[in-house]
Amino acid sequence: MNDKPRILVVDDEAQLTRVLRTGLKSHGYDVRTAADGISAFDTFKDWNPNLVITDLAMPNMNGLELCRQLRTISQVPIIVLSAKGEEKTKIEALDLGADDFVTKPFGIDELLARVRASLRRAATQVATEVTPAILQAGDFRINLEARNVTVREREVHLTPKEFDLLTYFMKHSGKVLTHRTLLAALWGGNYVEQNEYLRVFVGNLRKKLETDPHGPRYILTEPWIGYRFNPHGT
Amino acid sequence: MAAPTLDKKWIGYLISLFSIAAMSVGLKLLGAHINATTVALALLLDVLFIATRWGSVPALVASVLAMLCFNFFFLPPFGTFTISAPDNWIALAAFLITAITAGQLSAHAKRRAEEAESGRREIERLYAELRGAFERASHAEALKQSEKLKSALLDAVTHDLRTPLTSIKASITTLLDEARGRRNGEQPVTLDPESKVEMMEVIDEESDRLNRFISGLIEMARIEAGDLQLRRHWGAVDEIISTALLRAEPVTRGHRMELGIEKELPVVRVDERAVSEVVYTLVENAAKYSPKGSTIRITAQRAGDGLIKMAVEDRGEGIPAELRERVFDKFFRATRDGDIKTLEPAGTGMGLAIAKGIVEAHNGRIWIENGSAGGTRVAFTLPIGDEDAAEPSEQSFSDRIRRP
Repeated sequence: MNDKPRILVVDDEAQLTRVLRTGLKSHGYDVRTAADGISAFDTFKDWNPNLVITDLAMPNMNGLELCRQLRTISQVPIIVLSAKGEEKTKIEALDLGADDFVTKPFGIDELLARVRASLRRAATQVATEVTPAILQAGDFRINLEARNVTVREREVHLTPKEFDLLTYFMKHSGKVLTHRTLLAALWGGNYVEQNEYLRVFVGNLRKKLETDPHGPRYILTEPWIGYRFNPHGT
Repeated sequence: MAAPTLDKKWIGYLISLFSIAAMSVGLKLLGAHINATTVALALLLDVLFIATRWGSVPALVASVLAMLCFNFFFLPPFGTFTISAPDNWIALAAFLITAITAGQLSAHAKRRAEEAESGRREIERLYAELRGAFERASHAEALKQSEKLKSALLDAVTHDLRTPLTSIKASITTLLDEARGRRNGEQPVTLDPESKVEMMEVIDEESDRLNRFISGLIEMARIEAGDLQLRRHWGAVDEIISTALLRAEPVTRGHRMELGIEKELPVVRVDERAVSEVVYTLVENAAKYSPKGSTIRITAQRAGDGLIKMAVEDRGEGIPAELRERVFDKFFRATRDGDIKTLEPAGTGMGLAIAKGIVEAHNGRIWIENGSAGGTRVAFTLPIGDEDAAEPSEQSFSDRIRRP
């Protein structure tokens, strides 16, 4: 029985899937590849991989549709490969439930870092589902019942909305969260265009959590896209 | 504007006075040779002239003046305004009424004609204005379209440059990781020799792909600038085809090649290298877009009227009729931009555009037709080509020395 993490790589560029298969295998992953969304979806159902890496522009069901379809049956981490100029599609993919993105061209290390982060996040997510009252990761500990938060062993006082935002960040740590996703999750669907709400609350949270609010280590800005929370600090 | 109009009006009156007076004097000098009727008709003519030239009021003045002159000079007793014979009263009255009526009618007709003319001019002016506006609008639209096209082309180019670069970068960083002994968590990075070779193969192939793409871009730019320098020589069609097939051998290895070259084809005056490039592109496409093991058929024959027709036919899926023109567009790929989804797009999207440029530079034509077995048949014609042999050839000097 093979206990290596299984990664499904989906791209219509044969050369790239060839490289990624070899590259990821050499780093200890079990890899399968698919050239389009439809065969990827079939492979996913048969093989149940731990992570999916997919290109966005593909024939026979593109990356967006694949994300949508995968989310109907699984919470598997998805990393999308995008190129500059595909920003809109990339954000759409993240809104549809993709976890992270890597911009082409990329070095294998960058991809591996994202792969590790996504796999780790998936693992902690499983753990928090077992004990939902306490969320603990990195420098953070959140007691959902008592509604208190400690950062670096020190308790901080948050307003109810700030508490909700931090909790959401904790539950999705490491994942790129688009403005739209955060607004919809915290304020509801009518507020998805109100980026300034978010900016204010993120600013307040940073003041309370970060050692240097102007050089944040926990709540990182993904320019034009949204935020990524790293409980360990960068 | 008022002053010239006024002047013009006075000139009209003056001319009326002067011309009636001159006419009366002239007629008087002729004396006994003319009768009263001739005089009346001559004066009437003058009134009509003034009416058409100067309008209704000067014509009215001229009519009255003409009546007075007629009475004074030509109706007895001469030199007085009295009239002796009663029938002359009637003649005078008839003259006056005729002169006034004819004068007014012709002035009216003239005015109508002028109005019609100015209406026509106004329509012309509006039309010109409208056309100008349309031209400006379509110019702006064309600019917008060309900007759109430019950014679409830029997208296509960057995509085509970045795709091989991505594979190269991912390969090289994998190799570097291993060479530097980087560890992935607990596990050391391990690349077996086979994998290393594979990574290097990818780098090698993708660099070639980048180079092909860039050469294609340059060739394309040359064709578009009308800067394609054809070096025409008399050459044999079968040689051109066999050169192309030799070059295409690595990609056609899995296919069955079939040749149908007509016996005793005339030699053609073409740029052999360029035409061979066209055949190569078509054969490469055929191999790429048809299943391994299937047949690719290359034919060459006379097509009447001093033309040679060559064609490359595959047993692939064929190209839908609505895409057959577009596949010759720069950067268009049926597998990516069209609805053909089953095959991976591996080309640069420039091969057929370049082929078309080369064929057209030879005054030939290239098109796609149904293959006999359901696949694609790309055909092109070339003039055998001696009609322009007299024109100074584009051969370079050294070329001419080398090939007498």
